[in-house]
Amino acid sequence: MNPFTAILDGLGSTLVLLFNALREIRTLPRQFGRFAEQCYLIGYTTLPIVAVLSFFIGGVLALQSGYSMSNFGTKEFIGSLVGLSMTRELGPVMVAILLAGRVGSAISAELASMKVYQEVDALVTMNIPPERILVLPRLAAVLVMMPIITLIGIIVGWFGGALVCEYVGFISLAPEKYFETLRRYTDFRDMWSGLLKAEIFGFVIVLVSCSIGLRTRGGPREIGASVTKAVVTSLILILVLDYFVTKALI
Amino acid sequence: MPQPQPQPQGDKAPASDLPRSDAPHSPATAASRAARPSSAADRADAAANASAASAADRAVGIRFEGLSKRFGEQPVLRDISLDIEPGEIFVLMGPSGSGKSVLLKHVVGLEAPSAGRVLVAGRDAADPATRRAVHMALVFQAGALFNSLSVYDNLALYLREHRLGTEAQIREKVMRALQILSLESAARKSPAELSGGMRKRVAIARALVMEPQLLLYDEPTSELDPVMSATISEIIATLKTHYRVTSVVVSHDRDLALGIADRVGILMGGELITTTTPAELRRSTDPRITDFLNPRIDLSAPRFKKLEPNQPS
Amino acid sequence: MNTAQHSARVGLLFLLGLALIWVTHEALDSKSSLSKTGYPLVAGFQNLKSLKQGDDIRMAGVRIGSVETTQLAGHRVEAILRIDKKVTIPSDARATITSSGLLGTNYVSISLGTPSRAPLAPGGEIVTYESADLGTVMTQLSELGEKLEDTLGSIGSVFQGRGGEPSLFDRLNHLLSENSSKIDTVMSNLEDITNKVNQGQGTLGKLVNDPKVYDELLATLTQIKAAASQASGFVGDAQELVAHVKSGQGTLGTLLYDQKTSDDLKAITANFAQVSEKLAKGEGTLGKLIQDDSLYTDAQATLQKADRALGSMSDSGPISAVGAVANALF
Repeated sequence: MNPFTAILDGLGSTLVLLFNALREIRTLPRQFGRFAEQCYLIGYTTLPIVAVLSFFIGGVLALQSGYSMSNFGTKEFIGSLVGLSMTRELGPVMVAILLAGRVGSAISAELASMKVYQEVDALVTMNIPPERILVLPRLAAVLVMMPIITLIGIIVGWFGGALVCEYVGFISLAPEKYFETLRRYTDFRDMWSGLLKAEIFGFVIVLVSCSIGLRTRGGPREIGASVTKAVVTSLILILVLDYFVTKALI
Repeated sequence: MPQPQPQPQGDKAPASDLPRSDAPHSPATAASRAARPSSAADRADAAANASAASAADRAVGIRFEGLSKRFGEQPVLRDISLDIEPGEIFVLMGPSGSGKSVLLKHVVGLEAPSAGRVLVAGRDAADPATRRAVHMALVFQAGALFNSLSVYDNLALYLREHRLGTEAQIREKVMRALQILSLESAARKSPAELSGGMRKRVAIARALVMEPQLLLYDEPTSELDPVMSATISEIIATLKTHYRVTSVVVSHDRDLALGIADRVGILMGGELITTTTPAELRRSTDPRITDFLNPRIDLSAPRFKKLEPNQPS
Repeated sequence: MNTAQHSARVGLLFLLGLALIWVTHEALDSKSSLSKTGYPLVAGFQNLKSLKQGDDIRMAGVRIGSVETTQLAGHRVEAILRIDKKVTIPSDARATITSSGLLGTNYVSISLGTPSRAPLAPGGEIVTYESADLGTVMTQLSELGEKLEDTLGSIGSVFQGRGGEPSLFDRLNHLLSENSSKIDTVMSNLEDITNKVNQGQGTLGKLVNDPKVYDELLATLTQIKAAASQASGFVGDAQELVAHVKSGQGTLGTLLYDQKTSDDLKAITANFAQVSEKLAKGEGTLGKLIQDDSLYTDAQATLQKADRALGSMSDSGPISAVGAVANALF
């Protein structure tokens, strides 16, 4: 199969998977346990690393912009720069990249091993659509959790920037000034757009990881290949989608 | 009536710790075909009594009509036509890679035929609706237990997902299935903690919970020691007797085939070369069959030297 | 870890998320709370610049509301201002659109007005004026630059001469070189004379410097008097002496009556008088430079404009030269 038809095949089977998962949506209420479990895995366990990463992203943003802006005497705008770029762009993208690395890989590995060890086939013979219990709770969980961890990431990033502004010698911008410009230039609409972006990324990551995991064929070696493929595909899709989503939201 | 001998895998515990007194023993329903009825089989008798009557007339037949399957350019099954009668134990034998498992997957609709068709109770097996109409259970070679769930939850999943009863009723059914296979003590364990034989029994128990009309076993005795293999064979035979299920067993275990089968089919190179009874099979003079059933280790002319690269085997 | 604990943590996280959404909403969109409680005012402008919905309204720097909406109304644009209901705005307060920084968003700035005046009623219209925004400031700055260049150019042309006319320096040079010999002579003569006078040479010198001579003269005169009184024959002698002096004989005579020296002095004096007269009349470039005040007033006006421009810039917020340049770049 050449790469082009492989991509089309992947796209098609992913859409079929999504369609099949959506068809099972009425079973979601009684899958609350699985949903909560996935929420825990996707949201709660990802939170610490999201916080650490966002903190440093905000800090580096402040450091870089402070380094450049203090030459122009416009350092009070660091707040708006960090605030806007964390909210609209870096927060969602960074959380999505983390999610691809942490959750996307875990999902594809789990589903690929279920596929390779015929657990998925077992579900099919039990007349339980794999989409129902393997895909749908994950999709629902990521839709609920993604905005929350992104929001926390964004806010932690803001504070990372504030801390850097306050304590780095050549910037030394008071937090009040930092947050004043941040508040003046960052609207809640920016927050919505950031969270919407994160939502789209998260949904795509989970869907793609599920799809690639469930399409694994062959032996245990293929599990590793599927994980790699899921993460790489997710990362590419995040960055490509980012452009188009940003364009659509502006 | 010998107990299962001590076994190296640790399967001993659930098998030998049985409190024999609490199982109502009913010799009248003892499995006639089971060469060595074990305690597990006894328990199956006891537990099966309740549902045997209702399941009796539900057994379904399978019909293969010119089934062919190829993966890419590689033909795996060639024009297979076969009828499996309701309520019989059909053992499909053949060397590794002859397409036995693929044939089985066609029955449950995991594979779609390249040509021909498979009918289960008169319905096309490739149609997902067939799985809803006919209760089929496939016991996978490696068990295919859900590793993230405990043994109990593995068994309960089907009942819960299809909302067959309250949690109390589900519990009752699951515990009964575990009891039949002497697995009560393993209920809270995770599949990773189980030995190979226990895993197979859990897989059978999981199939049992579905109250199947058609039970398919994929290599149920592979990777097991001879005693455990015999135990599994006994279980298969006992379940067939008391649930009146149609059983299709894919195996290359000669003892199993000759011991419990009503009919035996032999698949070689994707072709069904014979369908016969165990007794006739023993008398067969076809060199392929005799060689398959009683391979002689001949170091002077090793077989692997005769294998041709192109030969589908 | 059991499922109940998972659910509890997830629930906690969910509540935390909801709380954070609410908090950030309050923090970022504090404007929205006003829209229900405040009262509207209409402000008409010729140009709204980049004023947009949600921008601040500040009275003497204090935030008192936000722009509810902007609309085109006939031949002008209107901004509907939503003012905090606790704030009353006197009817003589004036509104203008100001920029809150070089890169900043605009806001509507309202002056305090006179507290005694009646407050504007909800829905009323506030008086507006156009103020210099950054664009205007930049235009003024460039005009100022042009004027400065003109001025410097004319000053340069004064020094360099224009259209064949001799320049100021040329003229001064010419004046001095033409009369240098005369001036030299005058100067040396004067020096000579003053030296002689100083050293008591000559009659006048002696007269000035030597008391003995004076005494002698006095004595002589006394003697003459005596002689005159004694002998009138001496009168003739005295008359003769005076005649000598009159005829230009003797040093004083020469000094007083030598025609050439006197003519020279007269010429120099006349030259000086002529130059100073010309300067006084404002003739010649130097004269113009000294006398013509239009150049001065021009320069002063230019500086005043510059001052105003800078003043209005500093009104519109903090500014630095680099900042202005940076803004021009953006």
